[in-house]
Amino acid sequence: MSSRRLARRAGQASLLLALIVFLFPIAWLFATAYKRAGDIFAIPPVLTFTPSLRNFTTLFEFFDVPQLVLNSVIISFGTAGLALALGTPAAYALARLETRWAHTIAYGFLAIRMIPPVAILIPFYLMMRDVGLLGTYWALIILDAMQSTSFVVWMMFGYFRAVPKEIEEAAVVDGCTQWGTFIRVVLPCVVPGLIASALFCIIFAWNNFIFPSFLTNASTRPLSVAMISAYGSNEINWGTMGALAHFSVLPIVALALLLNRYFVQGLTRGVH
Amino acid sequence: MPGIRLGFTARRRLFLVMIGLPAVLYMVLVAFWPLSQGLAYSFTDYTLTRPGPVNWVGLENYADMFADPAAQRAIVNTFVFTLAAVGLQLLAGLGLALLLWPDSRFNRICLALMLIPITVTPLAVGLIFRAMLEPDFGILGYWARVWGLSPARGYLADENLALATLIVIDVWEWTPLVALILLAGLKSLPTDVLEAAEVDGASRFQRFHRIILPMLLPAIFLALVMRSMDAFKIYDSVFVTTGGGPDNATNVLMFHAAKIGLEFFQIGAASAISTFMLACVGLMSVSFVLMIRHAERRLGSR
Repeated sequence: MSSRRLARRAGQASLLLALIVFLFPIAWLFATAYKRAGDIFAIPPVLTFTPSLRNFTTLFEFFDVPQLVLNSVIISFGTAGLALALGTPAAYALARLETRWAHTIAYGFLAIRMIPPVAILIPFYLMMRDVGLLGTYWALIILDAMQSTSFVVWMMFGYFRAVPKEIEEAAVVDGCTQWGTFIRVVLPCVVPGLIASALFCIIFAWNNFIFPSFLTNASTRPLSVAMISAYGSNEINWGTMGALAHFSVLPIVALALLLNRYFVQGLTRGVH
Repeated sequence: MPGIRLGFTARRRLFLVMIGLPAVLYMVLVAFWPLSQGLAYSFTDYTLTRPGPVNWVGLENYADMFADPAAQRAIVNTFVFTLAAVGLQLLAGLGLALLLWPDSRFNRICLALMLIPITVTPLAVGLIFRAMLEPDFGILGYWARVWGLSPARGYLADENLALATLIVIDVWEWTPLVALILLAGLKSLPTDVLEAAEVDGASRFQRFHRIILPMLLPAIFLALVMRSMDAFKIYDSVFVTTGGGPDNATNVLMFHAAKIGLEFFQIGAASAISTFMLACVGLMSVSFVLMIRHAERRLGSR
């Protein structure tokens, strides 16, 4: 074997090893859902087990799973919808306004993402308490959308600047209104950016824990908050946690794998 | 009627300002307004559980914070955590990115699967590791204990090892993201320069050290900035694995501020901590900008 091929094999072997390190804990989490208590608490711990669906029965006994899923869906799609509605037009405006201010404001939106969440969460919590929104979906969506809008503006700013201005000019000459040009001519050019933005808004909101843990109550809490209580006592154990992960972790993992191209595009934005 | 019929350029500007305004107003209302309120609270003794008027106390909350051992520990831990976690992620991420660089089907599939950890709910990541490291039944914790690699009560309950364990968990979770960013940087390098160096007989190490690494700097900085900002506000995995313990060994600023503010309801004291965090983030951003400028100048003069 040539040294070059040997090096390639060695590289692939290391990658495979890394892959095992990265995937084992996740595989373990999902596998736990199918273990009986006897297998979970075996001494010494075992990797093999007889599959059982007992944990899912327990899960549905102790948790209102459909309600939790519904809460997570309402919160993440509400956040994505609001953030895109606010952020996309703003990003377009910043990309097309020819002033130095536009760049400064775009960086301002980026800077918002760097604010430690707790610096806003504490006063925001008090504000929501005063207006009586604490515990509702709105409190959480409003705050999540704030973070997501800053992200959407920054991301879409790049996409809109890549759209040639001539396209819009042609549309205006053809008698299209400004709003019509934006909706019918410019937006279709940035669909990949919109998909990537929406994907990230959904992931942020779905996976967020600190905001919902203080802003929602027992009936509006999302899956991420419920997971913490799926752990600890005798009846509710790692098995229940693994079963709940099928609803809280799996959808996002599947979505990111399905939209892998957009996911990667969004994460590597700013490299080129 | 002049003045009402606007020219196209003016109408265009007006339109753009109008559609940009809602997002800006939203940020003022939901980001800057609460932020400034928090800043104001930090100079008061505002406490929800104590009735009576709110008094102006000047810098007392800040003085108390720097004198409080738990807060001191949180400050040190947050910086140690950020530095160690991001440093290790950059090293491991660079290694992975170099391995993934040659384009092949195998590498593409590897990359897609490797990104799974960053999509898993951070809270769930903490739960997974807490369960796996549990010293009595955990798949890793049990064997580590039996083989004498971990203290009897496990890594997370050990004062000296708990923070290191949290760093390892963070490295596991975010190294793939760093690898992805650096890989994108590697793939955008001009191939002709790399080929020219190879033809000219530069060794592998020389090519890496003299050509690849300097050209990769923008991507490295991007990963550095993104990860530092996030690592600095670590919360979820601390909350779920150690709760800041044992004996404040894993207390970090975000966790400390949330606990003081939203569990003990000492709004003034908590606002001082979060304002301090904000100042740290500001200083970090400034130093990053200076670092980037410095690196660009050095590379430019070469």
